[in-house]
Amino acid sequence: MEDCEDCEEIFSQDGVLLKQAPATHITFVNTIGTLYISESLNSNKKRFIEWKPNDITVDSDIQDQEWAVVNTIQKRTRTLSGNYPPDYQNRIKCIKLNFEDIKSFRIANKSRQISFYDGKADCLCIFGFQHGSSDVLLSILKRMLRVSVSKRDKHLYIVYDANFPEFQQLDRSFAELNIQHDSRTLWSVFKNLKDHPYETTFEAFSKVTDYVYRSPEQRDLDDVDRENLNRSISEYENTTTHSQGDYEVVAKVPERKDFPRLRPLSLEQWKGHMNSEGKIEDVESVRNLIFRGGVTPCLRSEVWKFLLDYYPWSSTELERQKLLASKSDEYYNMKLQWKRMTKTQEDNFTDYRERKSLIEKDVNRTDRTLDFYAGDNNANLQTLNDILMTYIMYNFDLGYVQGMSDLLSPILMLLESEVDSFWCFVGFMNKVIRNFDIDQAGMKDQLSNLHTLLAFVNPQLANYLDTHDSGNMFFCFRWLLVWFKRELSLEDVMRFWEVLWTGYPCENFHLLVCVAILETEKPNIIQNNYGFTEILKHVNDLNGKLDMAVMLNKAEGIFYQIKESDHLTDNIRLILGLPLLQSQTSYGSHEQSPFEDSAELSNGTQPCCSVDNVRISPDEVAYERSINSSFL
Amino acid sequence: MRSNSKNTLLKVVILGDGGVGKSCLMNRFVSNQFDEHSFHTIGVEFLNKDIELDGETYTLQIWDTAGQERFKTLRTPFYRGSDICMLTYAVDDKSSFKNIEMWRNEFLNYADVKENGQFPFIVVGNKSDVPVEEREVSQLELETWCNENSITSCIETSAKSASNVQEAFKMAVQYWLRLESRADKIDPGVNDTVDLKKKHSDNRSSCCTGSSE
Ligand SMILES: Nc1nc2c(ncn2[C@@H]2O[C@H](COP(=O)(O)OP(=O)(O)O)[C@@H](O)[C@H]2O)c(=O)[nH]1
Ligand SMILES: [Mg+2]
Repeated sequence: MEDCEDCEEIFSQDGVLLKQAPATHITFVNTIGTLYISESLNSNKKRFIEWKPNDITVDSDIQDQEWAVVNTIQKRTRTLSGNYPPDYQNRIKCIKLNFEDIKSFRIANKSRQISFYDGKADCLCIFGFQHGSSDVLLSILKRMLRVSVSKRDKHLYIVYDANFPEFQQLDRSFAELNIQHDSRTLWSVFKNLKDHPYETTFEAFSKVTDYVYRSPEQRDLDDVDRENLNRSISEYENTTTHSQGDYEVVAKVPERKDFPRLRPLSLEQWKGHMNSEGKIEDVESVRNLIFRGGVTPCLRSEVWKFLLDYYPWSSTELERQKLLASKSDEYYNMKLQWKRMTKTQEDNFTDYRERKSLIEKDVNRTDRTLDFYAGDNNANLQTLNDILMTYIMYNFDLGYVQGMSDLLSPILMLLESEVDSFWCFVGFMNKVIRNFDIDQAGMKDQLSNLHTLLAFVNPQLANYLDTHDSGNMFFCFRWLLVWFKRELSLEDVMRFWEVLWTGYPCENFHLLVCVAILETEKPNIIQNNYGFTEILKHVNDLNGKLDMAVMLNKAEGIFYQIKESDHLTDNIRLILGLPLLQSQTSYGSHEQSPFEDSAELSNGTQPCCSVDNVRISPDEVAYERSINSSFL
Repeated sequence: MRSNSKNTLLKVVILGDGGVGKSCLMNRFVSNQFDEHSFHTIGVEFLNKDIELDGETYTLQIWDTAGQERFKTLRTPFYRGSDICMLTYAVDDKSSFKNIEMWRNEFLNYADVKENGQFPFIVVGNKSDVPVEEREVSQLELETWCNENSITSCIETSAKSASNVQEAFKMAVQYWLRLESRADKIDPGVNDTVDLKKKHSDNRSSCCTGSSE
């Protein structure tokens, strides 16, 4: 690092957390410090960004606090502007980014995070703002660097290279350009820019620069056009200023189409798809039919076994018979393991005892209003209990988690067979296993992804929630944990689940259902000026009032709106399991249709976090902090 | 300090092991109903209920959460800004009584309260209706524990038979008032209450931030 005695500080901001850094500074990651913009006093007048750690390091507790990192925020330590703190000499700790190395930067996490990129897909640094936001920094960067908003990602700012000739010309006022003919074209670009800033910006700049570059002859702009151009430039600048808030101006998604629900899969249709050996011939079209209309009730107990991966879709009738026998043995083996536990064993096995008692308590409080589970000493309650107990022996690491009895109850009610219900329950659990993560990471991811989707489809509502302490989407927890089991009637929940189990039309379709409902409730929420508490109450009270068919219909419309919109980001593609733009060419592994393997598809959570060959948006990483800052 | 025209909003958090009857207590208090087979709680719920005390009205905003350890990260954010914490166990479940201490510590850890000893905790032994032979915790054990932990309010209740439920919540508010008047003397600037009428002009006040100035 070069010496920097002769430089002038232009800006400083404290409480800045280093979230990602070059290898040389990796030990300072998660340290709080101060961010400076300085200008060298040498003739070269180079400008750069510097970050210097405070001496206090962030308590490592911050990781354990999970959703509640609220009280660990450091006290403000204001630096006197213009003066570096005494230990500023300790240069090795500083991170320095020359302006000329910054090719783009991205604002995330509601302006609480900024990432700098060097244009080679490498992230130079990520900074988080513990208090305040990146707004001031952003406005300074916009003044000092010539930037434009990316067409694909409205939080991404592209820095124009000051050494390129078109930049130098561009940097002179546009109005001074000597353009004779074709000024109409230029004007229309700006007009378009004004009307659709995010869509046009990037493209517009490249058009203008191209034009300027290729038009060296002297031309005159007529006065009217010059005036128009001036006005539109200043308006354009206003627009970008406003757009600092996350959702002020956005590209529009295409119009919503209507996707009517069809009749449920009928017995004739089902039989028609089976060959003489009882094998399903065209699995995709069967699944598509189920997605469109569900399954007719008398057929459910058979079809659910396929949907829940108990019966392989490719199996013949004979193979299924064999499977049944072996699965039955396996089940009773596991059941005997806990049934045979002696009193002493139990007394010496706290973990087991606790699980057993949890299950007992919950079984007594699951769907007791339905005839099937009503009354004391109901044999079905015992079966419900036994399946859950056996599930602990099947997956002891996971154990019993509240919500599981809700997922099992309709399955047992439908199949009325202990063994079949167990294995179908296993299949369902495999799809939603991350809902029950010890650290609840799966639920947090889903809430975060739900917010990302909502912000894309309905930025106004997302923005409202963000500014009303509700950006964490917490109030959707129950919906997501047990897939609307508590909000819908038994018949509706069965229909809803079988539709979702198909994995059509995309991964995480249930999140789009949430978006659809929230959109329907938007007028209620906004007109009543609900805050977090009222939203939670409003959402909890929707129980029993949701129309499942309408929800599915809307959600599908939303899916196609997203899919067909031209500013779709990779982040959204990852959530919905759509092929990524990059990965198709460079990685090849995503070329298969997203609907090929049912086991992977509808697992209820997101594979995105484990896809490490794709640089995902830092939104995810920063989610924890956002939940705290916007929470209560 | 408090005028009669003001409606004071108090945030009450009910904590305790799963199955001790937290949700039943809340429903009994708020709607005077008891449903033996109500669902176990998923996520977080709350209900409001007005209560009169010495001619003043208090709105209790009662927060009920899921008790399982797994959902700890889900419920702890809701502790912030609480005015009263109700520690609940079932008299027919010894281990739920032993866990009271754990619940108190979890609350203190996340609630961001000013002074530990000064916070209005109330310990509630629910299911007092169960036959004697099923009882695992006596009233004496309850009182002893509270004495040792300098908690002055404790009571046995039954959500099922409606015994002592109103009293428990009243007792909690009274305890809160005692601490509050003491705090007023020390620091008259501190005011824990939220004027409900202001609710819609200020988002945060509708967000149960009872004690965040
Ligand atoms: N005998 C008796 N049972 C109760 C009482 N309160 C609740 N219960 C039962 O205890 C079980 C758990 O109650 P619940 O309110 O769901 O517990 P929570 O998990 O603490 O919310 C339910 O089955 C209730 O019927 C009570 O006062 N007496
Ligand atoms: Mg409960």
